[in-house]
Amino acid sequence: MSITEKILCAKTHEYIYEDENDEYIVGLTDYAVEQLGDIVFLELPEVGTEFHKGETFATVESVKAASEIYMPISGKVTEVNNEVADSPEILNEDSYEKGWLVKIKKTGDEAELGDLMEYEDYKEELE
Amino acid sequence: MTKETFLHDKHIGLGARMVDFAGWSMPVQYTSIIEEHKTVRESVGLFDVSHMGEVFVSGKDSLEYLNKIVPQDITKLTYEKAVYCQLTNEKGGLIDDLIIYKLGILEYLIICNAARIDEDLNWMVRNKKGLDVKIDNQSHNYSLLAVQGPKAAEVLSSMGLDINQNSFTIRPAKVAGIKLLASRTGYTGEDGFELLVENEFSEELFDKILETGKPFGIKPIGLGARDTLRLEAALHLYGNDLDEDTTPIEAGLLWSVPKDKKADYNGKDVIMEQIKNGTHKKLVGLKMLDRGIARHGYEIYLNGEKVGTVTSGGISPVLNTNIALGYVKNIEEICNGAIVQVMIREKLHNAEIVKRPFVTKRNIVKIN
Repeated sequence: MSITEKILCAKTHEYIYEDENDEYIVGLTDYAVEQLGDIVFLELPEVGTEFHKGETFATVESVKAASEIYMPISGKVTEVNNEVADSPEILNEDSYEKGWLVKIKKTGDEAELGDLMEYEDYKEELE
Repeated sequence: MTKETFLHDKHIGLGARMVDFAGWSMPVQYTSIIEEHKTVRESVGLFDVSHMGEVFVSGKDSLEYLNKIVPQDITKLTYEKAVYCQLTNEKGGLIDDLIIYKLGILEYLIICNAARIDEDLNWMVRNKKGLDVKIDNQSHNYSLLAVQGPKAAEVLSSMGLDINQNSFTIRPAKVAGIKLLASRTGYTGEDGFELLVENEFSEELFDKILETGKPFGIKPIGLGARDTLRLEAALHLYGNDLDEDTTPIEAGLLWSVPKDKKADYNGKDVIMEQIKNGTHKKLVGLKMLDRGIARHGYEIYLNGEKVGTVTSGGISPVLNTNIALGYVKNIEEICNGAIVQVMIREKLHNAEIVKRPFVTKRNIVKIN
């Protein structure tokens, strides 16, 4: 199954998908990355931090500007992708496999997932 | 309504991402800002800067007139020479920064910022009262192409331009058989030319430069890289680093202001007083020591006290570090080598005050 088949996307261009440990992987969609252009800086949260759905959990900076990244569902950070924090240009190559941002333990209810879109619908919404 | 340059379709065809800039639809990038930046530093890039304003000034009193509206001494401007100037208000603040070219006897060309053309014209007309001067805004009739980078002269030379031309001069020329005005100026910190051409020939010129430049590695360059290039060269951007409440002296442009100019000009008393007694604020260069990018509007701190504001900031692809320009209180403690802090997302980040420009042609030997 390709990654875009299992992800859910937020209108604000973040994606999530569930891994085999019942945790959620959070990242930025390819569309978001393309719009940002060259990504030169990434500020990720610390492990253990809790965020509500819609809260800013990270900041990404392209050459032109700084943009906030919002948590698509409520959760507690269990792992941070340090590799992408050190080399944010990875995002420009691949924001899914290598360029994921954080892993979280879901803390909200299932209904929160209902606001997210499947990749196909997300793409359609952009057009 | 958004204006389009005569090269708009070319940009779209080249895959540019277009953005609105000063009311114009302009290419911000074609491929990648960093790649385009390095292209200009290493070889040569082609910019469409047709959004910029071109105003011709002529008439019996044109010299006297220009001498009254800028601090620079236009009586010393000789034929085919250019001078970097500021259009000052009565307080010495900047209405715009511009380049004035002497094209002939009592005939001048002003190239100014796209975002300021209306304010400039308004101010210029207000200042011509009683003088025999013709102010002719020709911005809509001309395209401006900038060819910038260490190989810019080679490319244009192979297109028939006589490159035996000094920096900050302008003269009528032909490139690939197209008549234009060639000015050896730019906004990148590199050698290069700016070609002022009638709109109807701009597409042909653009295509021919890209084609001839191919073996030299030429690429079209967007406004994104234009901004990172000018920042590395510590060239001011009007609206960011310059405004109506900032004088040329505060902006670190003392080098451009003559101390012995006889004629009176707008804001002369303020500017002369500042040259003599100093200013309250000054422009400094910042190099980030901590991770983080200083952006326009971020606050600058020293010993926990706010001492200034960042006016331009971003990455330096050549130095592989983050740099910024900002205004700080004019105090001795804030000198080259001093450490200050920039507030980025509610956290203080260390930065060093450094000499401007950040990058000079001399240290562009190796690029990461």
